[in-house]
Amino acid sequence: MKGGSLLKPAILNVGIYLFLKFVLPLFTAPLPASLIFLYVALTATGIVIFATLSGQSTEAFFGPITRFLSGEGQAGVMKMARLLVLVLFPLLVGWQTYSSTAPSEVPPAENRTIHPAPPGEFVGLSNPIPNTPENVMAGKGLYAAFCSPCHGGNFDGKGPASKGFNPPPANFSDPTTIAMLQESYLFWRIKKGGVGLSIEGMPWKSAMPRWEVELKDEQIWKIIMGEYDGAHQKPRTWE
Amino acid sequence: MKMLVRLKPWSIGIIGAFLVGGLWAPQAGWAQESVSVRAGLVKGSLPADDPTAAAWNGAPASEFPLSPQVHWPNRILEVTAQSVKVRGLHDGQQVSILIEWADPSEDPDDAAALEFMIGDKKAHFAHGQPMAQVEGGPVNIWFWKNKDAKILDMNAKGFGTLKSQDQQDVKGKGVYQNGTWKVVFTRALSTADAVNDTQIKPGDFINIAFAIWDGKKDAFGDPKEKGSQKAVSSWWYFRAEPPPDYSGYFYAALAVGLAAGFQFVVIRKLKKGAST
Repeated sequence: MKGGSLLKPAILNVGIYLFLKFVLPLFTAPLPASLIFLYVALTATGIVIFATLSGQSTEAFFGPITRFLSGEGQAGVMKMARLLVLVLFPLLVGWQTYSSTAPSEVPPAENRTIHPAPPGEFVGLSNPIPNTPENVMAGKGLYAAFCSPCHGGNFDGKGPASKGFNPPPANFSDPTTIAMLQESYLFWRIKKGGVGLSIEGMPWKSAMPRWEVELKDEQIWKIIMGEYDGAHQKPRTWE
Repeated sequence: MKMLVRLKPWSIGIIGAFLVGGLWAPQAGWAQESVSVRAGLVKGSLPADDPTAAAWNGAPASEFPLSPQVHWPNRILEVTAQSVKVRGLHDGQQVSILIEWADPSEDPDDAAALEFMIGDKKAHFAHGQPMAQVEGGPVNIWFWKNKDAKILDMNAKGFGTLKSQDQQDVKGKGVYQNGTWKVVFTRALSTADAVNDTQIKPGDFINIAFAIWDGKKDAFGDPKEKGSQKAVSSWWYFRAEPPPDYSGYFYAALAVGLAAGFQFVVIRKLKKGAST
């Protein structure tokens, strides 16, 4: 082990952190802080294991730390640095303890699954209505009458009645909504409404009506057709 | 080795920074938008039936958007009230909730309601209507109407089941000033009837929803908004703030003491090791 065996691991750890925090998100979704912490901790553990493989390397790794903490023969900057560490460490532990015991001021976290699995009878149904311009037009007419107050004339979820609802009405022009779903899924959601959702979908918060009470199945299938056409999206298929 | 000695403060600084950063990181980034009403604890009397009391000025206001009730027939597609401003205060025994909204005219049929879930069961915000896959609970509704000049303590579990309770626990008052309604609702934090009444425990977040009716007469002489035709919100949170809790400081002081002691023992041991 050459000199600098303490600096190299430190640089490695900082490098890993910077990579996970700033470089990786350029290619994929940002990692949660807890995962970054886990990776950095793993790196540090690896470094300690590597450094303690032999007596000599152990001394090279821990020697400086031991000498720094015991404070022997220190003067000037080093003395001050040691004092600082000795004061800061207990304070940090105290601060951590305080923040983990202090009562929470934040409302309970809500982990809503936006597209929970539909009940079996709604899986794989195909639209029985022929996709003709007349049917698409009819679907758009029904959409304008029944859906657009919340989901919007532009299919963007920003209808005049939308703003008080939480979660907000779905934005069909967003590629992560109906473009990711099959027509049978939309059929379920329209027919059974918010109250038809499973518990992970938080059915008690959704304002989506149970349209089976007011619309025939045929009308719902036409609405689905009009919705995809109007939002310039295609339903997801198995191919 | 000489190089090592020169680099030490650096390295230790970086490692220290990492320890700090690592400990901090898992707790960062959970802040939410304002989604709740916070009813602060007051000493002295509550403005229980005075919507214009000066005491309300010190209470932080939360504002929630409202939508026309489109979830269930009879629907309405346009409503007068666009949002509701809400404040809360409690004294450890009673809680007062003040709601405010803009309404261009004062009418006898103007009305407002607060809705709560009861107990741990999740209830749908539309009158606790049944849900397909979740066994929902009932809701507790506090309903005020201008011409009645009182507040009704009610329950519902599904449409058409709204019923006034035998035991009325909620009082309050509405005042109309300069195009704004201010209505205060007051009740004991807890009641003897946990089956029908929402129970408010300081420190706990509970669900709350709002409804407003503009009772202005339309061309046929009927109120413009009535029954299911109203402005609504979905669920938000309400919390009666708990009394200040200083135990965190105690545990922090204890932790500082333990850490310092641990440090002392370790360094003594290191020094002994170095001198042998």
